[in-house]
Amino acid sequence: MVDGVTLTMGVAGSKLEKALGDHFPEGERYFGLENFGNTCYCNSVLQALYFCVPFREQLLEYYSNNKSQGEAEENLLTCLAELFSQINSQKKKTGVIAPKRFVQRLRKENDVFRGYMHQDAHEFLNFLLNQLVDILEKECPKATTENVLNGPGNGHVNGVKQEPAATWIHKNFQGILTNETRCLRCETVTARDETFLDLSLDIEQNSSITSCLKNFSSTETLNAEDKFFCDKCCSLQEAQKRMKIKKSPRILVIHLKRFKYMEQLNRHKKLSYRVVFPLELKLSTTLDAGDSAYSLFSVVVHVGTGPNHGHYVSLVKSHNHWLFFDDENAEMIDESAIQTFFGSAQEYSSNTDHGYILFYESLSGDNKSL
Amino acid sequence: MMNSGASNNIMSSSAASASGNSAPGPGLKTYFKTPEGKYKLQYEKTHPAGLLHYAHGKTVTQVTLAHLKEKPMQAPSQSSSTLGVSSGVRSAAARFLGGGNGSRALSFVGGNGGNKPVGGSSTRIGSLGASSSNNVVGNPNFDGKGTYLVFNVGDAIFVSDLNSQDKDPIKSIHFSNSNPVCHAYDPDAKDGHDLLIGLNSGDVYSVSLRQQLQDVGKKLVGAQHYNKDGSINNSRCTCIAWIPNGDGSFVVSHADGNMYAYEKNKDGSGDPSFPVIKDQTQFSVSHARYSKNPVARWHICQGSVNGIAFSADGAHIATVGRDGYLRVFDYKNEQLICGGKSYYGALLCCAWSMDGKYILTGGEDDLVQVWSMEDRKIVAWGEGHNSWVSGVAFDSYWLAPNSDGVGENVVYRFGSVGQDTQMLLWDLEMDELVVPVRRAPGGSPTFSTGSQSSHWDSACPVGTLQPSPSMQDVPKLSPLVAHRVHTEPLSGLLFTQESVLTVCREGHIKIWMRPGSAETQSTNSDSFMSTSLKEKAAMAAGKGGKQ
Repeated sequence: MVDGVTLTMGVAGSKLEKALGDHFPEGERYFGLENFGNTCYCNSVLQALYFCVPFREQLLEYYSNNKSQGEAEENLLTCLAELFSQINSQKKKTGVIAPKRFVQRLRKENDVFRGYMHQDAHEFLNFLLNQLVDILEKECPKATTENVLNGPGNGHVNGVKQEPAATWIHKNFQGILTNETRCLRCETVTARDETFLDLSLDIEQNSSITSCLKNFSSTETLNAEDKFFCDKCCSLQEAQKRMKIKKSPRILVIHLKRFKYMEQLNRHKKLSYRVVFPLELKLSTTLDAGDSAYSLFSVVVHVGTGPNHGHYVSLVKSHNHWLFFDDENAEMIDESAIQTFFGSAQEYSSNTDHGYILFYESLSGDNKSL
Repeated sequence: MMNSGASNNIMSSSAASASGNSAPGPGLKTYFKTPEGKYKLQYEKTHPAGLLHYAHGKTVTQVTLAHLKEKPMQAPSQSSSTLGVSSGVRSAAARFLGGGNGSRALSFVGGNGGNKPVGGSSTRIGSLGASSSNNVVGNPNFDGKGTYLVFNVGDAIFVSDLNSQDKDPIKSIHFSNSNPVCHAYDPDAKDGHDLLIGLNSGDVYSVSLRQQLQDVGKKLVGAQHYNKDGSINNSRCTCIAWIPNGDGSFVVSHADGNMYAYEKNKDGSGDPSFPVIKDQTQFSVSHARYSKNPVARWHICQGSVNGIAFSADGAHIATVGRDGYLRVFDYKNEQLICGGKSYYGALLCCAWSMDGKYILTGGEDDLVQVWSMEDRKIVAWGEGHNSWVSGVAFDSYWLAPNSDGVGENVVYRFGSVGQDTQMLLWDLEMDELVVPVRRAPGGSPTFSTGSQSSHWDSACPVGTLQPSPSMQDVPKLSPLVAHRVHTEPLSGLLFTQESVLTVCREGHIKIWMRPGSAETQSTNSDSFMSTSLKEKAAMAAGKGGKQ
């Protein structure tokens, strides 16, 4: 099967080349990724990461630095770096590549991904980024000191002093949330900072990402069985909780919680809700005076009706063109086609292609954390 | 008063549907309350059931209100016919929209899928019953005066009678080449061609609405065809508008950032000799040589022009687009006056206040923006939608309850609809806008009321586009009412003297009667009195519009 696919996709590749014509970006490569049996969750995320240019550049730099240091131990980071470098150095402009070593390594590292079952692309992204962080932190334990020098106004703000080591994964993806809890008895506000590499948002039917982000930061009352232990009152109290974004990341990854656990069904259900996402977004943060502006550059799309089966594809923006990656296949799409991935306004709809993970890149070029 | 005979059961069945029995969707109420009273769902209009599902999602329904006046006498009467035009025309409804294009348009169209004409079941003439009072279609003597709704669904244009209880349209027109996506109507058109239709393929038609209603077929008749097969511009039409007092001229905006001006009595066969656009980001106007149609091309912005609207006097045109900018031009002098950017994302719709002082825009930042022409900048942001804002309109019929007409405190009522399925109504009281004081860096915003009036900052210079303001710099409005009107995302709204109309993307229209407009008042009561109109089948042909 795989061989046949490679052949036909070779043709599709040249079609993409033809479509781009003279506009084919200098030095850019558009390669589909071979599927090793339900590895579309992996392929779709890898494409999104490959076209996350700051991430790709860092990874390629890592690859070239590491190559000179001789034989390093193989891990997920080296496999990913090797894969990206392999794509980047292809002679042809388009084609198909088999991410064999990377997938093998992934299956070695985590039994969840070992089988041939359908996997969750967000879980994979999360696992991958955290693995890369672990590997980088092990390799470079002194990264922490570097960060302290650059952190803006670290001394004045609670809780930021212990900011974790700033690997380039952190520099790209990490933002800070403030979890504010106000005890309704003594009015004391407890603020706790948490870092995040992506935001998981609850979704509602016929809403927008803006609205989901608003709900994410809305005030929630903790009461009844969910009371808050107030240190000042030394007891469980009713409280109001709010999550605010304190520092926005350079790459904002938004995960839509489309797979919801239904207690009465005792299983997960896919929410096909129509959630519109703009090509531009702004986040207001508590730390900076202005708002951070973002531009959408990638969407991982889940195709299918249920959580345990289906397919993943990705939409990627590269040099102002939008591309559609479906495993081995890569083609150009019009920007206006993105709206077909918003979801369904009605529960039963023939359209099952739904935006699942959104990647936004900060427009304010030099990010403060760099 | 009821119509006689066969139409009885039809009326009762649609009356039932108007009161919400025909699957209004879970949790949808048939009324909403405002300080001045209850708005009640009066009628629903839709396209024939089971139609064109393959085309759904590809074309967003827009609705245009068309007030057909009594036909001018053009020849001695030949026969007298007793036509029950099922509409009580209130002539005041002639000026329905604040400034014209109230409901502008979401313009996403993924391409133009099924163009196959749907045979058979699509025209619902039969469902109107045999009553001669309703048998409007296909009678060449038909005068057709009344108020109609023109809306597009899939590959068709439908026409419904606004003031009848009938849910189904009285006319359908199918397009074999592409889907119709936008339309406009001019009640004062002198030469009979009063309806404009723009297609997904870029094609543009002008026709006589009356002539369409007189024809039995399912095709456009007597049309003038412009930009044939997209020969001048093959990108999707996004919006179309008559130029007020423009003597039959009109403009069409396209998804590639261009807008074309057409004049009547010019050759429509096209002279596509507009120069290549050198800089996509720059505004430029080119005029056609040899005075052919289109007579001018305005390159407005990079990416789609999503909506256009003329001020009521025709002096100014507002455009909104994919780049997130509102632009206001002096139409005659082809000059940019002012404009500015959304908070973020594309702008999707725009509308003028009747007096030309304010412009509403809505878009992908979920905000309704109020722009002042006097200050040439944003004066307020309306927060309340949970998704993109797809339609905005001023309610030009609304009078503040205690307005004496001389007070300084001008109050505007406007409405907005969004992809969150909600319609919101807003009051804009310039004296009471909450004006955030410019805050010191790092401080928290403090608020003051009044005193500064609308001038929370100085006006902006002429001819410049303003960048996005910061969230804390713009006064915020909260909606008066938020009402979930459909189960599908909404695409537009219109105000008439008696009602508010909402339409969803899938082509369902609801008509909400204003408080005080007695909902029992049967507008059909007039129908048998609009009798004995001596009229002649003065065919609107002869205008040369042979297809």
